[in-house]
Amino acid sequence: MIRTVSYKYALRSLHRHTRRTILSVIGVGIGCAMGLVATSWIHGGGEMQIRAASESGAGHLRIVPAQWPESRENSLRLTDWQEALAVVEARSDVHAVAVRARASGLLAFGNRTAGVEMVGVAPAGEKASNRIVRKARIEGCYLRADDEDTVVIGRTLAERLDVELDDDLLVTLSGRDDISRAMLTVVGILETGSREIDGAVCHVTLDELNRITGFGAPAEITILLDDNRRIDRVREELAQAVPEGNTVITWREVSPEIATGVAADRMFTRLLIGIVVIVVLLGIASAQLTAVLERRREFGVLTALGMKGRQIAGLLMIEAVVIGLGGAGVALLVGGPVAYWLATSGVNITKMMGNDLSVGGVLIDPVMYGSFGAWVVWYAVGVSIAATLGATAYPAWRAARTDPAQAMRVT
Amino acid sequence: MGDNNTLVRARDLTKVYRTGDVEVHALRGVTLDVHAGEFLAIVGPSGSGKTTLLNLAGALDSVTGGGLTVLGRDLTELGRRARAELRLRSLGFVFQAYNLVPVLTARENVEFVLELQGVGRDRRARSTDVLEELGLDELADRRPLEMSGGQQQRVAVARAVASRPKLVLADEPTANLDGENAEILMTMMRRLRDEQGMTFIFSTHDPRVVAYASRVVTLTDGRVSADKRRNADEKRNPKNPDTQGAS
Repeated sequence: MIRTVSYKYALRSLHRHTRRTILSVIGVGIGCAMGLVATSWIHGGGEMQIRAASESGAGHLRIVPAQWPESRENSLRLTDWQEALAVVEARSDVHAVAVRARASGLLAFGNRTAGVEMVGVAPAGEKASNRIVRKARIEGCYLRADDEDTVVIGRTLAERLDVELDDDLLVTLSGRDDISRAMLTVVGILETGSREIDGAVCHVTLDELNRITGFGAPAEITILLDDNRRIDRVREELAQAVPEGNTVITWREVSPEIATGVAADRMFTRLLIGIVVIVVLLGIASAQLTAVLERRREFGVLTALGMKGRQIAGLLMIEAVVIGLGGAGVALLVGGPVAYWLATSGVNITKMMGNDLSVGGVLIDPVMYGSFGAWVVWYAVGVSIAATLGATAYPAWRAARTDPAQAMRVT
Repeated sequence: MGDNNTLVRARDLTKVYRTGDVEVHALRGVTLDVHAGEFLAIVGPSGSGKTTLLNLAGALDSVTGGGLTVLGRDLTELGRRARAELRLRSLGFVFQAYNLVPVLTARENVEFVLELQGVGRDRRARSTDVLEELGLDELADRRPLEMSGGQQQRVAVARAVASRPKLVLADEPTANLDGENAEILMTMMRRLRDEQGMTFIFSTHDPRVVAYASRVVTLTDGRVSADKRRNADEKRNPKNPDTQGAS
């Protein structure tokens, strides 16, 4: 146990080479600030991608037929879907629910055709849960619940088929028992700015899709939660509650490419942070080792007086913690305002991406925000102290093994 | 093992330093008993093994050969931690270069040792008492750089004796002091021996310092070449030139 005079010794030792101590503090602080800003950015970016993926149709959670995750077959339908929907709607932590079905097919107008995945939706729930519908400019109007023989398509798809509002499209879909056909009137042309998304949107009402295909139930219940940190917890709870024959999956399973992208971004940033921290750590280790070698005779004297190796190491660790706390202060002073600015003002990524704000069929936000909160303090303190303790481990080990007779022989 | 009165028992003690292929025989078979209450001077030319003998007796260095028992503990069988514990609990050290911790005041230097020993709240009072006892109270709040060499060495003695060790080892404690300060220091050490019964072993080149010793052991080429006990008359007047030059 290290007590009062030991603390004084450790703290005053930092004043022996004030400039070296200050440089160490600044070094740790700058490295930690870089890590803090990078973490803020990647955390915010990750949140944005999760939000974008989940609000672009994937949802945070999705109830699907039990076989769907394996087969991805559009003809599968939910079991006791009203009961499953009631379970979802009874929860207080659900922000929005969308009930859907999908069918693969072909749109034709004149001599032009386009392959599509037609989505049958409940219009009110879709507007609440799907930012593609909510944020897009719509020529005409979006679907209404009581619409019949109507379709909303994306601008790129409309251009490809050369159709306008009120034109009639021939729809050919793979139905329950056979190939099904219908004529649908274009009531809305939806434009997000993303050619990828606008080339894929083809919405009809769920009733319409079921009428054409001959199915009687939806294929998915997509759920947006109030708090995406509860995804895994709610998934477990819903999995226990939904009727047998259904299963609950997360956005990661619905959009694995987005999940992989988020994970890769995080790993790459952590790698960069790791490199920065290691470089800083080696610098601090060098300074600490120099300090230990300079005080070798003194450690020899302390050892001669009966101080044990772990006590000497403890003195150096106190010094490291103080440098770490100083570094945390610098990190908060330098990195804190940058992280705050990222979190409040954000960075307009349209300058980098242009107006096409889609990645993998997901409509992302034009402004990317960093993350900011109490975690910034814990991050700065934790990383800074961990880095200085890590950097001091070897010098402390060297000091702890000081041979008193040898140390005092060498002046 | 010797009787309880024998604090240090060395038998055919050897110490060899190795640097690469070079071997330096610092001690070549020293046999010596040091008894409680002695004020023993180890004298001899440079390189004769004085510091090595003190380092071994102080459990600072490991024995190469022979036997060495200090305060009843066989040092050839003690590990690193046990030797540190022995130094902390039972031995006091005074070094030639004072070696006070520069960032601590005189009082804190004394208090530091008591803290290491686990002395609780009263360690500050005890360190103050020790400094007062040795007439160093006016130096209590000064750091080493604010003190003269003589003052630093007296504080170093205070640090060494603060925990009332049975044995104090001093390696050329007066080497960096002028004559007046050397006498003040030796008088202080003698007083501690006389009043508190501490045993002192010190190495020196200085004949004036030797005059304070109750026993003088001379080392030559790593061996004891003379071992002389001084009588009461000689010790009574250490300033008498006739009693000096024992080595």
